[in-house]
Formats: sequence, C-alpha cells, structure tokens
Amino acid sequence: MSYLNPPRLHFAGRFQAAPSTVNNDPLHFNNATFQPDFQQSPGGWWNPGGDAAWRLIDCKVTSAWLDHDRQAAAGDPVLTCLIGDSDRAPPAKIVDLDPEQQMVSQIWGLEVRICRADGSTLLRGRFEPVAFMDIWDRASGPGNDGDIGAGTMFQSVLTDLEWADVSASPFLIALKQAAGDGLLSIKFNVDGYNMNPASADFTRGRVVGTIGAAAAAEPRHFVVGRHFMAAARPGGNFFVPAGGVNFCAAIVDAAAGKIILDLGNALITKAPGGAPRDIGTLALAWQGPTPGTVDTINYTADKWYETTAGVVTLPAGRKLTAAELTAIGGHPLVITRAAAGANPRVAVAEAPNGTYVRADAFVHRLNPGGDANVRLFASKWGQPYANAHIVAFLDPSQLQSGDPPVPPVGTPTAAVTFLANLDADPNGVAELVIQAGDPGTVRSFIDGQLYGVRPMLAEDQAPGSEFNTDPWEFISLLVWSGFAPDDPPTWYGSIQPIFQQYANLYPIMKPIVDLADYDSVCGNVRMLALAFGLPVDNPNAMPVTRDLSDAKRKTILRWLAEPGPDGKPRKGTPQPQAAVAAAAVARPAAAPPAIAARGGKAAAASRRLALRNRTP
Amino acid sequence: MLLVRAMPLDTVEHARDALQYAIELEHATIPPYLTALYSLKPGTNQAIAQLIKGIVFQEMQHMTLAANMLNAIQGEPDVDNKCFVPTYPGGLPFHIGDRNGQTFEVPLKAFSLDVVENVFMRIEEPDEPIVFPTGTQMRALAEEQFRTIGDFYRALRARLKAEWFTGDRARQVSGIVNPVYTLADAQAAIDTIIEQGEGTTTSPLEGPGAQLAHYYRFAEIFHQRTLVPNAAVPQGYSYSGAPIAFDPTGVWPIVTNPHSALYPPASIQRVESDVFNQIYSNLLRALHTTFNGHPDYLDTAIGLMFDLKLQAIKLMSIPIGANSNAAPCYEYVAA
Repeated sequence: MSYLNPPRLHFAGRFQAAPSTVNNDPLHFNNATFQPDFQQSPGGWWNPGGDAAWRLIDCKVTSAWLDHDRQAAAGDPVLTCLIGDSDRAPPAKIVDLDPEQQMVSQIWGLEVRICRADGSTLLRGRFEPVAFMDIWDRASGPGNDGDIGAGTMFQSVLTDLEWADVSASPFLIALKQAAGDGLLSIKFNVDGYNMNPASADFTRGRVVGTIGAAAAAEPRHFVVGRHFMAAARPGGNFFVPAGGVNFCAAIVDAAAGKIILDLGNALITKAPGGAPRDIGTLALAWQGPTPGTVDTINYTADKWYETTAGVVTLPAGRKLTAAELTAIGGHPLVITRAAAGANPRVAVAEAPNGTYVRADAFVHRLNPGGDANVRLFASKWGQPYANAHIVAFLDPSQLQSGDPPVPPVGTPTAAVTFLANLDADPNGVAELVIQAGDPGTVRSFIDGQLYGVRPMLAEDQAPGSEFNTDPWEFISLLVWSGFAPDDPPTWYGSIQPIFQQYANLYPIMKPIVDLADYDSVCGNVRMLALAFGLPVDNPNAMPVTRDLSDAKRKTILRWLAEPGPDGKPRKGTPQPQAAVAAAAVARPAAAPPAIAARGGKAAAASRRLALRNRTP
Repeated sequence: MLLVRAMPLDTVEHARDALQYAIELEHATIPPYLTALYSLKPGTNQAIAQLIKGIVFQEMQHMTLAANMLNAIQGEPDVDNKCFVPTYPGGLPFHIGDRNGQTFEVPLKAFSLDVVENVFMRIEEPDEPIVFPTGTQMRALAEEQFRTIGDFYRALRARLKAEWFTGDRARQVSGIVNPVYTLADAQAAIDTIIEQGEGTTTSPLEGPGAQLAHYYRFAEIFHQRTLVPNAAVPQGYSYSGAPIAFDPTGVWPIVTNPHSALYPPASIQRVESDVFNQIYSNLLRALHTTFNGHPDYLDTAIGLMFDLKLQAIKLMSIPIGANSNAAPCYEYVAA
C-alpha cells in the first residue's frame, strides 16, 4: 500500500529550494585558499546568499480518489483543501550530502499539513527525510538547459500523524482509516526551477504530488511494484531516456482488475514547468506470447498533469480479465508510443525477467565504527521475490570528483565493509549491513569520504545480461574521518577550523553569528549549544549542512559547555602553520566553470566518474 | 489612573483579560523596535544596535512573563490570532502614551534619533521620569501626568489574589524567565517588568548594580552619550559618558509603515514580504504552542526569530522606488 492506492489525493502548486551555492565547488571547502568573493556571485555560484529553506507554496488539492473509478464527491471539503508545510516552525532545509555527491539532496525537518482554505489544520505529519531520485532532463523547448530543465521526485512517508476533526470529509475519513499503521505515503515531482535572481520566482518551481496511506511493512521511499527501466541515451545533463519516457513505476491491483501507473516524473514537458509534450499516442501494454494493450493514456488533456500528478488508473471503464491478469503477471509491462498512423514502439519496459531490487534508505552518514542497516526489497513481476540472491558492490560511478586538487572519492575502499552476497527472506527483504571504518583524511580539507554501494540481483548481474539499470539507484555513504580534539578543546586547537569552514560556505548566517569570529561565537554560546545539540532532522539543527561527525559535534558541545577561567569558551593559542599554508597555496580561479551558471546539479553531474572515465 | 485604572480588576476573569492585554502590549512594542534595529546596516551603528537588541530581548522576556502569569491563574494565552497583531501606525493597547485625548501613534519606521525620542522613549516612559542633565544642557520633559505601561502593571499587581494561582505548573516557561507559580512569583515578575522598562523611582537602573532601564537606554541613544554617575550634578547621573556614535548613512532608507498592498503582486518585494509575514505568523503560532502546554516549543520559536531577522535584512536591502527600500509589514497570515 502506497500513495498509488486509493484513497489518495493529488495536489499541485509551487515549491522553494534556496540552498547556499558557495559549497557547490569542492575547492571552496579549503579554508586556506578561500577567497571573500566566493561569497558573492559569480564566484560563489548562483545563490551564495541561500538559507537552505525548502517550502511548499500555494499547493492546492486538485483531485481525490476514493477508489479506482470513484472520485470524492463534488462537495467533499477535501477538494478545497491546501497542502502546506509547517505553520509554526522554521522552513525545512534542502541539503546536499557532499560537494562530491550533490545528486541526493535531502529535505530535512519538513512538516506537511492538509489544511482548510483558511489555513486551519486537518492533518499534521512529519515528513521522513529523503533525497530526490531519478533526476533527468525533463523539459524540452527554449530555456531548458541545466537545472532549469531538470525534473526529479521525492518519495517518503508522513509519521507522527495528528488528525483534527475530519468528519466533514468522507475522503479524509477514508484516508484516516486506511492509514491504520499511522503512516501516510507521499510522493511529489518537482520541475521548472527558476534560477534567475532578478525574478520574483527565483529559487521556486513547480511541485505536483500525491498523498495516500502507507503500510509499515513496505518500503518508505519507493513502491514495490512494476518498475519501468529506461535505457540511457548519451548526452544531456542528467539522464536522457532513449525512448522518451523516464523511469517509472506501477502497481497491479488484481482484485480490482486495474493497473495504477505513475508517470509524474516520466514525461517530457514542452517547457520547464510546462505541460507534457505531445510525443504521440502513449499506451500501457504487455509483452509475451499473447501481448496486448491495457489502455491508452490521456496525457495531453488540459490540466492533466496538475489534476492527476501523472497517476493513471488503467484500463478506464473496464476491468482486466483473468486471462489478461495472468499474462501481465508473468510478462513485462511496457509503455509504447506511436506517431499518428505509425506502429507503436516500446518507449520504456520492465526488465525481461520482471526482477527488481532496491535499497529503501539510500543516503547514509556514518561515523567511524558505525554502521548502516539498509533494507533491500527484491521483487519479481511486482511481487516479493522470496529468497532472492542479491549481490552488493562498491560503485562510485555516479559520485562527482574532478582533477586534482579536487579530492578523489571512493578511496580507501577498506573503510567500508559489507557482505557481497546475501539472500532475501521469504518476503523478498534483506538487510544489508554496511560497517564504516575510518577513511582517514584522504580528502584533506573535506571531512570524510564518499562511497557508493549498489545492490543488484545476482541473476541480473550475470555476464551477457542486457538489463537496463537505473544509474541513480545506489546507496550513497558519507563516512566521516576520525577526529582527535585537543583536551580540553580550544578555539584555536579544534573549533576554529571547523567553524571557519561553515562561515565560509554559509554566509547567510553572518548577521546572526559570525562563526569565524571568536567574540561573535562567545556572544552566542547558548544559541549555539542549543542548535548544535538538536536532532539532525530538526529544521533548526546546526550545521544546516548536516555534515558534522559525532566526534566533532561532541567536541563543539563540550567546548561551549566548559568555559575557561574567564567564563568564556577556551581560546587556546593560534596554530602558526595555517597562515603559512595559505600563503603557499595558489589562489584558485575565482570564476566557476561556465556550466555553473546552469546550476549546481548540472555542474556536479558533469563531474560524475562514469562520464569522466568515458572521456578518452 | 484614568482608563487603565478604570479597568475592572476584581475577579480572576478580569485579571486574565488584563494579562492577555499585557501579552499584547509587550508584543506591540517589538515590531517597531525590530524595524529600527534591522534598519541599521550590518557592521554600522553597532553600539546602538546592541542597546536596542538588549531591550527587545527583555520585551520578549516580558511577554513570556505575562504569559506565565496568565497560565498561573488558569488562563490560556491567545497569541495565534489576527486581532493579536497591532496595526501600524496605531495606538498601543490601553491607549498607553496617549496625551490630552490625542492617540499616540506608533509607526514602523527606520531608525532615527527622532523615532527614539518621540516613539521609543515615550513607550518606555516612567510615571515620573528622572530628568538627568546632558553634558551641556538640561533637557526638560513635559510635566504632565500620563498613562504608562508601569501604571498598568502597578494596578494589576495591587489586585492579584493568592488564591487565583492554581494553574498547571507544567505550562510554565522557564529558562529565559522565571516560572510563575504563586502570587509572590507574579509580584516579582511585575517588578522585573516595571524596573526593566522604566527603572525605579529613584534610580535609572533596573535594580541595584543592574543595567539601565529601557527608557534610559533609549535616552542614551538619543543623547549619543552613555549615562554615567556624576557627583557634580544633583541627580547623581548625567549623559556625559562614552560617545554612542550615530552614523545616519548606516541606516537603510526603508519605507515607513509598509503594508502588503504597497508591494505589487508577484513582485520580488511582495514575494519576500509574504515570506516575512509567513515567518512572523509562524513565530506567533510557535509562541502560542509554547504558552499553551508545550513550553519546550520555545526553542522552535527562537529558531524562527533568527529566520525573522534574516528575512527582514533581506527585505530591507531590496529597493522599492527611487529612494527607498522595502521593509517588513508584520502582518498576520493564516497558515
């Protein structure tokens, strides 16, 4: 059960994502070579004054479905509801994992509300932090380059549900009943991002999404179902699907004789944030010895995307027959497209053997000695794949490095250990335990090291298999370096290098506290102790970048809590080598690469190892 | 005195009403003070900024103390309400500061010595201000009798009854202020509020060895000198200490008394103003949550105060028209 199952509602509106872009360049992490103009455009890229806020803006419910063929009644109050973020907390934060893995930006501290038009809350839930998935080159048409033309999606659950009196809405009563596990499933697609600082719409874009009920036993960040695997066409900034339709998923409700297909992040638009481009007649079909068509997809209808969020229930007006369901239950589903008068051809298809495996939580920050327990879900033809043989291997191909002095990624490999082979349980679930060691300071001025781990079904990895894999479906790990503070910790001994880097990379904080300045820090001890002590999913948590190891955090909190004889946090003595090192290192180029103007994501994507290794 | 003292304060319900107004009164001073404070460009006029910042922090404490007092007598502070937010320019609750039937209009305005003298000092004016000489000349204040914030609190203090203090102690906010459990706690809270605002009748200090009361801190800014002990004058103090420099070029030229309609729909100014109003309204709701059974939620409210500052600074740096910049409207918006 997920957002695809009714009861579900769809919504559409705007979102804001306002990251600071100073940290888009890995070299900006080097305190010794940091320049003041890196805090201004263009040296600090396109939004150096960003505060990392992530907001839902003017999102309205556009439709609600009680069942496959039954919408909420016209008078149901849910149809006038808004989908908002918190009405009593700071905005959520959008945060990259690392300057060398900017393709899994997570939303932290988001509260989602279903509320009446007057703003009064009917449901409040906490959005479990998640990163975006399946970023691609979505927009066609003018002005579509870089991040502006990108589309991506977030899928998660809402927890800690607080329901107000929803008795006036039959739909919300049904949704509350369906959410018996105390979870809602939410998925939204974002595109049409505005990167023009002169525009009132700067840092905003379109969001269109779906909310339904979630089951506790199921994955929280993807759907166990039928997964359409796009083939890659070379070129583009992120991913260009060869057949013109991106990765997407569907579920088969055999009892109802329906298939629910989510095309929300799969169809090309006419322009950034625009309507779907007409790419001919789209249909859902199946292959095999008795192929057939489920139905065509009415994706060019007016307001289709905003009203449906791209979720379609097929076939319309009838049920799949038992024979059709049998064929579909053992053969690949495909989406076909056909130009007028031409034969349909496959745009995107399931794996030929119907298999799929994926990690649920796919972004982890680890301390040396810590571990990540990652649930893997294997399926075949959309059903749990009992006892599936799964392999897991290091795969840094989608991490983003560069030529020296940009630090390398993925080394030393010995700093992460995990079983290379594991078997799923009868429910198709396996737990991959990834243990972290200490990668050392291999990246010098950037703490820790990045790793990628990709799970795959053993049978799909066999030589000669030509299955399409989703490049984005791997586990990203940031493993922090060990840290030995001075004792007791002092400003010069332990704190200043850490705080200087935050002050450099997040200049918006300066009017509140200048972390590079000992006196300013001393004037804000209580606030800093509070903010550095908050849980990482609190929107106020410092550092906003969530890139602080436990060892460094403990050191900061101890330093703030244990003042010296003068009542202030201990200052210690300056470290003489810092100034010398700064003088010795050449000043990096002030101007970012030309691609930076097209966005941090596009620039980072161009530095992926998979692309760099391909270059002769 | 006059309207304030005419207010019935005989029953616990009356006292609850009065304390709800007290919360509104304390809050009503904050947007004008913050507007002046944030209009000082970063890195300039820092001594002035520090003085105002300290005063605003104490106003937030006073608001919290009033909420604690209301909770102590089983009231329910109402902060999440359109009616809670004053209109600027406009009068303060209880007609505080009105003189001779003339409404005392409090504006949202950039920092200036004029606004310090004619608005802020008047808001904080003691019942009988002690007039201290400046370095060069005596500055006479009007000798008239007028209603003050202190008057209100003194009237309330005199009428609170010990048996009313039966509120749930778990609703008390502590940490940035003392909790209020008993009548004695409430009397101490009121004394703190009065003395931090206007000083004692004999000293400009809010208490022995403490810092200056708000009125005299604003007076320091106005006279551009710190108030220091001076044995050579009969009052014992004069504004003859270290200079408090005011650099008029270090003030954003913001619009006075902005409101949303001033900013064209879909303009950058309007979009950023809307964000500000959202943060401000979220802050009120966070305080409402804090004061109504979730005192730990104060940390979230404090987080919003930092967001409020950053958004105010952002707005004030955006020009509107040829010679002025945008400024926050402090308008309540439903969630």
